[in-house]
Amino acid sequence: MTYIITEPCVGVCDTACVDVCPVDCIHFNVKNPDAGQEMKDMKAADPNVNLDGLQLFIDPEECIDCAACEPECPVEAIFVDEEVPDEWEKYIAMNYEAFGQEAP
Amino acid sequence: MSDKKKKNADKPQGTLSPKDYKGKVNPDWCAGCGDFGVLNAFQKACSELGLPPHKILVVSGIGCSSNFPGFFNSYGMHTLHGRALPVATGAKLANHELTVIVTAGDGDGYGIGGNHFTHTARRNIDLTYLVMNNQIYGLTTGQISPTSRMGMKTKSTPYGNVELPVNPLTSAIINGATFVARAYSSEGSYFVNLIKQAIQHKGFSFIDIFSPCVTYNHENTHTFFKQRIKHLEDEGHDPTDWKTACEKAMIWGDEIYTGLFLQNTERPTLEQLEPILDEGGPLAHRSLGLTEAQSSKIIEWMM
Repeated sequence: MTYIITEPCVGVCDTACVDVCPVDCIHFNVKNPDAGQEMKDMKAADPNVNLDGLQLFIDPEECIDCAACEPECPVEAIFVDEEVPDEWEKYIAMNYEAFGQEAP
Repeated sequence: MSDKKKKNADKPQGTLSPKDYKGKVNPDWCAGCGDFGVLNAFQKACSELGLPPHKILVVSGIGCSSNFPGFFNSYGMHTLHGRALPVATGAKLANHELTVIVTAGDGDGYGIGGNHFTHTARRNIDLTYLVMNNQIYGLTTGQISPTSRMGMKTKSTPYGNVELPVNPLTSAIINGATFVARAYSSEGSYFVNLIKQAIQHKGFSFIDIFSPCVTYNHENTHTFFKQRIKHLEDEGHDPTDWKTACEKAMIWGDEIYTGLFLQNTERPTLEQLEPILDEGGPLAHRSLGLTEAQSSKIIEWMM
């Protein structure tokens, strides 16, 4: 079980989820010890940065299924894997692939 | 080869994945609760050690953290408040080939069951004791626990706590536990490794785990620990040195240590010292030496 970030995050990348994750497992395309920091830095450097096509991902191997991120998301993009809406199912594989993992 | 593939190549054939240790019931802990990290790390530790669920027993008492056995796929017992250790001791003596894990919280383990903690430690029975310490009574909605700091304001202490908290690590060391460690629930692979070491240790192994209560303890939060946690290994701590272990365990401030404080691999376990258990297999698998008629008579009498 893991939480999955889906389509509504694309182009938004709010990072409220990053702030509440107790295990720092939410990242923007690359994994680094300061979770999600790359996205925060990008926004700080240029508040009007173009985020088209960009989103945050949850590392499924590190996620502890605690659900802290789910209610924080302003665009309701986060779901537990078993409850991802059908139209966004491809995002399950995308979250795994973002960290070089195979989706089950 | 990717890291993931490398990891899989190191595993023995037929090893179960952490997901295989997931129970049929989903945890009812609050979102963000540290206990999720403990459950997750324990699942990974069992998977990496290749322990089959039918050879594991998880015993708990009462509290948020004591719902643990219900969320884990193995044998489990949810027992009376503070009494998980005696029940686990009985189970281990009856079947000493079983891997017996005890889960508790700070209230259950250090308050209501504090007496059993002392005596299980000195007996050095081969159990692994995981105490999810959130420094508050969470299930009863926020009263001081045995590990709440002096001065802490809670529902039961509106003018501040006037009692000194217990130090679980020094207690365990002084009472004779042979594996004493501390962890923070969000420490990932570092925490998983500590659990693995604790399970593999022969004797009473104990881990005090900071597992923040996100609902009722607004002092000892995830942020509080992330800013303070230091690893004992980085200080070159020698786990056979019990005096330094006590000193490090007493440090509480801008720096708080996690890691393996003490390990004694020389002391025999209770099972090894008991000739009846040491010579044969588990009692549970031995013949009782009764005839069918005698067995029937006993069952009839008990009914």
